[in-house]
Amino acid sequence: MERITIDPITRLEGHGKIDIFLNEEGDVANTYFQIPELRGFERFCVGRPVEEMPVLTNRICGVCPEAHHMAAAKAGDAVYGVEPTSAAKKLRELLYMGFYFTDHTTHFYALGGPDFVMGPDAPVAQRNILGVIHKVGLEIGGKVIQARKYGHTVVEMLGGRKVHPCTSIPGGVTKGLTEAERQEIEKMGRWGIEFAQFSLQLFSDLVMGNPYYVDLILGDIYTHKTHYMGMVDENNHVNFYDGKVSIVDPDGKRLGKYAPADYTDWIAEHVEPWTYLKFPYLKNVGWKGFTDGNDSGVYMATPLSRLNASDGMATPLAQERYEQFYDTLGGKPVHQRLATHWARLVELLYAAERLVELATDEEITSDKLHNVPTQTPTEGVGIVEAPRGTLTHHYWTDERGILTKVNLIVGTTNNYAPITMSIKKAAKSLIKKGTVVNEGLLNMVEMAFRAYDPCFGCATHSLPGQMPLQVTIRNNEGEVMDVLSQYVHPAFLCER
Amino acid sequence: MSGTVNELPRVAFFDFTSCEGCQLTVLDALQTHPELLKVVNIVEFREASSARSEDYQIAFIEGSCTRPGDEERLRKIRETAVYVIALGACAHLGGINAIRNRQPLLDVRQYVYGDKAEWYDTYPARAIDQVIQVDAVIPGCPIDRDEFVRVVTVLLQGRQPKLPDYPMCIECKLHENICVYERGQVCLGPITRAGCNAICPAYGYGCEGCRGLVSAPNMESFQEVLAQHGLSQAEIDEKLSLFLTNQTLLEKELVHG
Ligand code: SF4
Ligand code: SF4
Ligand code: SF4
Repeated sequence: MERITIDPITRLEGHGKIDIFLNEEGDVANTYFQIPELRGFERFCVGRPVEEMPVLTNRICGVCPEAHHMAAAKAGDAVYGVEPTSAAKKLRELLYMGFYFTDHTTHFYALGGPDFVMGPDAPVAQRNILGVIHKVGLEIGGKVIQARKYGHTVVEMLGGRKVHPCTSIPGGVTKGLTEAERQEIEKMGRWGIEFAQFSLQLFSDLVMGNPYYVDLILGDIYTHKTHYMGMVDENNHVNFYDGKVSIVDPDGKRLGKYAPADYTDWIAEHVEPWTYLKFPYLKNVGWKGFTDGNDSGVYMATPLSRLNASDGMATPLAQERYEQFYDTLGGKPVHQRLATHWARLVELLYAAERLVELATDEEITSDKLHNVPTQTPTEGVGIVEAPRGTLTHHYWTDERGILTKVNLIVGTTNNYAPITMSIKKAAKSLIKKGTVVNEGLLNMVEMAFRAYDPCFGCATHSLPGQMPLQVTIRNNEGEVMDVLSQYVHPAFLCER
Repeated sequence: MSGTVNELPRVAFFDFTSCEGCQLTVLDALQTHPELLKVVNIVEFREASSARSEDYQIAFIEGSCTRPGDEERLRKIRETAVYVIALGACAHLGGINAIRNRQPLLDVRQYVYGDKAEWYDTYPARAIDQVIQVDAVIPGCPIDRDEFVRVVTVLLQGRQPKLPDYPMCIECKLHENICVYERGQVCLGPITRAGCNAICPAYGYGCEGCRGLVSAPNMESFQEVLAQHGLSQAEIDEKLSLFLTNQTLLEKELVHG
């Protein structure tokens, strides 16, 4: 069997590797995408106090520490059976909206968006933010920097340290908001709404206005009819910080909603011999292998999933965009993975609107920041929506609050099975009867990756979307025939 | 006047086991201080560019040494670079990676990898200066952006960067924060090196010591203070081991591997 390896070069050898096996006819027989377990985090948290988890687990990954910080704080609330004050919940959510705003902006402009703005066939050297600036105009670079900075500022104001916030603790937060800070955040949020609207307009002009892209998005290559997962509030509107996790089937029918504590009733994990990482699936539907359809328990958890699993957005402008999204793409659910980029922008708008809502909430400058835990700690689950998927932290402690067991299901892990499926489909559509593998394959596989925005920061340490890809073509004897590679530039370094 | 690109000092960034938060902070610093790019030539920075180079004068290292193979890579960097700087707590102290040094390593392997435990090495996480000589340190988890800019500037002027060498409490008092001990919490400020503007206490959270110990900390009296605040010896050890495992437990504990 001929073997092609796409090997994201990471410093963790043997990790994050794609193997494509061809059969004798030169068609794709199978693809394996290997990623490792967490770096022992679940184990080395054992024996540590649960209060420490919001500042310990955020060090799993410098890309989305805020998500771990929040999930850990919520799991800590649950372990102590303590409800944070109403103001504390709002302050945490406000910090979280700042984080989403930065993260979604980065993804669209630096990582996922350039594929569209520049076109998937554009040379790699152009598919980056510089290319976008060149095509769309210089002022956009400044706006993107501004947007990222505003999001960061909100996180810093509320979280203290820049990369790893420290202010959420079981029962609430340690730092409130002054009126001056509140005003500043409100101002940034209002600017953010404009920026998100501008970004959505850009997407519809450049992408939806171009029949080639519309075909690409609606085409079969990146389509999988899976189940979808996403957290919703009591009105079944998308919520990033709190609520129940909604599951819909491939027809869009809601199978149910679960509270964080019940996640094990819904999710089980499948083990494959060729990878450290487990494949979560819907327990009641069952594991049927890497396949889609109503009978397969494979589900997806991404911005697109969140839209599919909800009944709408909780803010007015985002709701308009939500409706437009489904009207244009032919109703709910949308199965085409590339639509995730658009869904992400709808969420960007929601994050900005919610930021303003929270910043103008009367309670937001309250000094009722913390309810002191009084119950004996036992066990608890905390769930938030990380930008890359539903994030679950589950802790067990002894009566002093010392952790005895930890289980983490990180955002990207949810999507491990669908990512594997997308890679296979992209490879299949591009390798036929031994056709020469060219950059097109790399681009398409890369696009498949990027729609999910996989973050293996916790695992392979590759930043989302900037995986250096390398394809090694081997003959039947396993000898290397050819090596193709390309890098994906995040380009923030050079965007002055 | 800045010279041509070829005359500028050649700078490389390397990462080992880390969360990459420090490198992201550097990227951030390059955005807020774009003038830095006019005075150095970054020849290797995996986070930002595909360029690879084996010719550099200044090497920044993020992350801890966690595998035997890392040692070789580090020695290579040491041979090439004139100046080696540890970037962030992972590189400076072993960071949170060193927490596992207190746990029986086989246990960690079995927990994570089950019967594949032998695939996972039993190597305790090391700070960079436990493997090669380090010329300067930028502490913190993550590093402080402004401190990074300051250190780079000082280096480029040919001077040796100096870190504040007094306890966090001094800095904290200057900022007129309410001491977190007054709220019944614990803080490592008395033994931790200042320089981050006492950011955590300023936000109502006790310092975790991510910048490492100040020189000659009075550990005994500090531990007494903690005991007076009702911490058991086990709890004190936990506090000291989030970032300070290698600095405080080195001799007696670092025996696995
Ligand atoms: S020192 Fe902290 S922020 Fe820097 S890489 Fe290590 S864990 Fe990440
Ligand atoms: S809060 Fe911490 S750093 Fe500040 S004075 Fe108290 S002990 Fe020292
Ligand atoms: S206050 Fe302590 S834990 Fe916080 S950033 Fe400074 S040194 Fe690190």
